[in-house]
Amino acid sequence: QNLKCVTHNLRKMICTWDVSSKGRHGQTDVCYTTNDLPPPVCFKTKEKRVEIPVPESSSTMTITTNSNSGTAFVTKEFEIHKKDISFVPLTPRILSLTPDFSTSTLNLKWSDNGSVFLYGLDAFWQIQILRKEAMEKVTQVTYYSKLTHEDVIHSWNWTSDMPLECTSHYVKIRCYINVTQFVGPKDWSDWSPIEEIPGKDTEPNGSGVFPQDTVVAVGSDVTICCVHEKGQQIKRMTYGPEIYPMIRLSSRSSAIRVLNASASDASGTNVVCRLSEDDMDGTVLFVGYAPDTPQNLSCETSNFLKIKCTWKPGRPSGLYGKRRTKYSLFERISGKNVSCEVNEMNRERVCGFPVLADQKTYDFVLGVSNPIGQTESLLLVDLTQRVHPKAPEKLTVSGNSSTSVRLHWFINGSFAEIRLLCQIEVSCGHSERRLHNISMSGGEFSTYTAQLNALHAYTKYQFRVRCSAADHFWRWSDWSRIEEHTTLEA
Amino acid sequence: MAAADNTSAALRRRDLCSRGIRLAGKMRSDVVDLLDTYVERQGLDASASVAAVEGVPVAAVERWDEQTGTQRLLENLAAYRAFRALLAQMLEEQQEQLGEADTTLGQALAAVLLQVSAFTYHLEELLRLESRGPPSEEGPEPPPAPHLSLFERKLRGLGVLRELAQWAVRSTRDLRQLAKPNPGSSSAASLAESP
Repeated sequence: QNLKCVTHNLRKMICTWDVSSKGRHGQTDVCYTTNDLPPPVCFKTKEKRVEIPVPESSSTMTITTNSNSGTAFVTKEFEIHKKDISFVPLTPRILSLTPDFSTSTLNLKWSDNGSVFLYGLDAFWQIQILRKEAMEKVTQVTYYSKLTHEDVIHSWNWTSDMPLECTSHYVKIRCYINVTQFVGPKDWSDWSPIEEIPGKDTEPNGSGVFPQDTVVAVGSDVTICCVHEKGQQIKRMTYGPEIYPMIRLSSRSSAIRVLNASASDASGTNVVCRLSEDDMDGTVLFVGYAPDTPQNLSCETSNFLKIKCTWKPGRPSGLYGKRRTKYSLFERISGKNVSCEVNEMNRERVCGFPVLADQKTYDFVLGVSNPIGQTESLLLVDLTQRVHPKAPEKLTVSGNSSTSVRLHWFINGSFAEIRLLCQIEVSCGHSERRLHNISMSGGEFSTYTAQLNALHAYTKYQFRVRCSAADHFWRWSDWSRIEEHTTLEA
Repeated sequence: MAAADNTSAALRRRDLCSRGIRLAGKMRSDVVDLLDTYVERQGLDASASVAAVEGVPVAAVERWDEQTGTQRLLENLAAYRAFRALLAQMLEEQQEQLGEADTTLGQALAAVLLQVSAFTYHLEELLRLESRGPPSEEGPEPPPAPHLSLFERKLRGLGVLRELAQWAVRSTRDLRQLAKPNPGSSSAASLAESP
């Protein structure tokens, strides 16, 4: 009775049957023909199941149950049609389940046994995650793949909303293969054996508050748990100054759930698990922002030895010390990378980069990262168009006539590649100031000279000078110090 | 001639003791202020009880009255050498964790560390007067500090500062005892002022 045939690979099928329970039975004689093509295949079996080929259209099976003495007891013939055969894929086997405690992520690997089938088929995998002592279902995910007649190992990640240390996590998987041309009933495979990632609450001396000293983004929902030793009991769990309701995970683990976490102080927000009046454990949670994309990135050189880049950092991340936002300057043409020493407390950010021999154009990527995220700003710059000299130094004024003077000044820098434009401001008492523009070839850490004529005799003048790049003006240097000089008598 | 030497040594000792008492008093008030800043900046509960912290010298002592002057100095010196190392470690951790974000706490910690260093030197001076000199600092390297989580470090810091405040009180009493002409008798007039 109840002959049932199931195939796992579309080529062979396993048929099982029941026998009425009256009397004791010996061996069974089984004969079958496939697609009505004689001769029948016969054999004896002690079991109530046989494995025979899946027929193209139908099979006829004759089952003779013998008594212990070998005499035929009952014979029955079954007609097995393709539509009567069920297709149930083999139970998948988990190859590995690997936890990454730092990211609370489980990595699942399994083989899809694709080699069992002769042609490509659509396969659906149901992965179930369970948790806690009571093995409650946390989530069930359907993953799709294409079977390709080879055994392919699939890898899938799942990130838990709580640290894996908090309590044990379990995973099982089953599959459904969509064989469109198969006319019989199709069903999900059995669930795989369950794989477990034990929590700290299963370790004999396991205890602690988790996650340990982690960083999360403002607005996150965070689950923090307290694992304690057997026999202990949690009196209360606080997040900062607030007591939070506890969620029981197991007899040795409870958690709190912080929703929409707000930015923490510089030293982080303490999560305290009070076990008794003088016994507590805890962790520190740092809640901050991912770095803002730097604004107004600008790079210039004052001396053609060093490039100075500045930018506006945007919103503070709220993370400090070793969790602070870090900056690096990468130059794509040369491939050179420089990490920037930045004081997170002052608003303007500065980073130095060496001027490279024979390189005029710089393709900068300012990389910004902190434990929550990363971003970057780009800048392509021709250095000769970003010259911002230092203030001229050692300005001296000398005169050998009553109406003209010679000025000398020094500029710290190597400007041999460009022409300089300098502006001399002449003022006399409270009268109006006059500006004289003079351009000249740049030099290597040079002293520059200029002559001014048409001055008044025996008159006290104040002189100062500033310079910039002549061909591609970018910025004036600061003014030099003022130098006073009185022209000779007529 | 020997009598004159004794008198000047006693005077020198009394002077060192009274200056030490003032230093301990100042240190104590600064440590108490630092404790308030520390608790607030580290987000701790001021009433939190902290279990005895390994490596932190305990100020409480049994049969304090029976201690000799040298014992007092040696125990004080060992304690403040330990606190000097502990505070230096706290300062380093504070810099690593907070960078420039909390210079107030950093500066307060550095100030107390300076005072502890000064007080340690003071104790060494007193021991030199005892013509036995302070024990050298070389010795077996202290075992590497166990890895502590941030929360445990915060609690440890609290424990260190609380115990240091207690030590400052004890040191004041020890130095008062030392300032007496013969430390054993309790009747002798005490030159020291209260901290």
